[in-house]
Amino acid sequence: MTTFIDYLLGGLGSGAIIALMALALVLIWRSTRVVNFAQVGQAMFTTFIALSIQTWTGSWYIALIGALAAGAVLGVIVQYLVLRPVKRNDTSGAIIATFGVLIALQAAAGMIWPGGSQAFPQPFNNSGIEFAGRVWPISIYDFVVIGITALLVLGLTLLFTKTSLGLSMRAAAFNPEVARLSGVRVSRVLTFGWALAGSVGAVAGVLVAPVSTISPNSFDILLVFAFTAAVIGGLDSLIGAISIGVFAGLVISLVSGYSDSGNAPVVALLLLALNLILKPEGIFSHHKARSV
Amino acid sequence: MKYFLPLTDPILEMVDISVKLSGLQILDSVSIGVPQGTVTGLIGPNGAGKTTVFNVISGFITADSGYLKVDGKKQKHVQPHHLTRKGIARTLQGVGLFPTMSALENVMIGGSSQVRSGIIAQALAMPWTDVEQNRLRAQSMAVLGELNIADAANRLPGELPYPIQKRVALARALVSDPQVLLLDEPAGGISAADISELADLIRSWVPKRTVLLVEHHMELVMEVCDLIWVLDAGKVIAAGTPDEVRRNPAVLAAYLGEDGAT
Repeated sequence: MTTFIDYLLGGLGSGAIIALMALALVLIWRSTRVVNFAQVGQAMFTTFIALSIQTWTGSWYIALIGALAAGAVLGVIVQYLVLRPVKRNDTSGAIIATFGVLIALQAAAGMIWPGGSQAFPQPFNNSGIEFAGRVWPISIYDFVVIGITALLVLGLTLLFTKTSLGLSMRAAAFNPEVARLSGVRVSRVLTFGWALAGSVGAVAGVLVAPVSTISPNSFDILLVFAFTAAVIGGLDSLIGAISIGVFAGLVISLVSGYSDSGNAPVVALLLLALNLILKPEGIFSHHKARSV
Repeated sequence: MKYFLPLTDPILEMVDISVKLSGLQILDSVSIGVPQGTVTGLIGPNGAGKTTVFNVISGFITADSGYLKVDGKKQKHVQPHHLTRKGIARTLQGVGLFPTMSALENVMIGGSSQVRSGIIAQALAMPWTDVEQNRLRAQSMAVLGELNIADAANRLPGELPYPIQKRVALARALVSDPQVLLLDEPAGGISAADISELADLIRSWVPKRTVLLVEHHMELVMEVCDLIWVLDAGKVIAAGTPDEVRRNPAVLAAYLGEDGAT
């Protein structure tokens, strides 16, 4: 039982990171009905920028702020240069375009930051904390990750429920034409959504980098887990992305602990397949059905 | 032949508007005007082009030729999100409410053009954005109260009876305090008693507001309208007071066929 609890605790930090990346995917899906597969590429790119900032300044906080800003800018660039020119309602064209962006970003990162995998400095102690006479498999850094995730979720919840901008984003996501008629500047709101998703993804990248390494392809597996969490959560549900993201982290930790970490993606894909068979609209979706 | 009706003080004018979509002539040199402070009807059989007229005014469709004037000013490139700033609000066929937003939130969206703070200020929750948000909330509650549906404020549209949903949609249009209201089939799907209340409501808005009404429910149109334009197959075929339109042989022919007109 102690081992089981240890595995669960060990999965909380990675669950929070998966939740953040899933959240970024959901933010774009809600507003454009496109799954942005470039999201991890954007996060990888901004994490490299953060690494450069940290190397120059020596400050993780400045690196985090830099990644947030770079994520927003990159999100807007991707929307303007790639997604906007793709014909509206051409969802498959847009999705293919996001794959193209992912490949382009990975190639560009390989050229700008050559040398393969690079270590990201540890901003906080990542050793298990000692409490009640034993070492627990959760670190100060895990608490920082969970805390930042919780703050972001709280901020986004307040944004969506308490501000005119949040109302406009929800309206534009559901019915852009009616939103336009009501005076909402839908294109601006969508651009803000891309910037917001870019920043959230960037935070996920900066948080995951210290516990792994960073290379042009190092976040690919994060895309698998985040996409799984977003789909099972309902794709248009923020709470679904967060809940299933954290749940995915716990499942991965259990699978890795009891068998082998290489089995984790297989289990994630099995859960995804099971979800698509039993509840294709997702657990937290507002919609009754979704074609897949 | 162009139908011509002399109008005094039109707040909204379409001049020689033609629209062709997918090779079909949807509107053919349509010229209509809406006098200020009146309820003006726009009627015609299915496919006459009534909703296209609304779509041109709203900026969803760009006319191939002709132009639109609002309050005497010629409009270039009307954008849907600028409509409420020009003092025009529109309801849709059906209700078009956002199902995951409460009735109050749906109404607040209608006041989006009154929000002056920028996106960044709102995202950072600057203090003045709260003031704007609270003002908009109070204004939206007041409009819900005027329409006697204040108790529905916190309910989702799906939890409300259809006539109440229709009123929420009306409230969303009214919250921007428009000079001109474009109502697209407001009586669709509601009972006779509700239609009677709707007629009183529409008449209560004039002369402060001007109403352009597209409606199939002829009793309502004849009861509330000061002036009626009749479209058929994308052309204006008649205009006049309800009595004049009711007696017009071209209108009878359009609605009932040639036999009905004789």
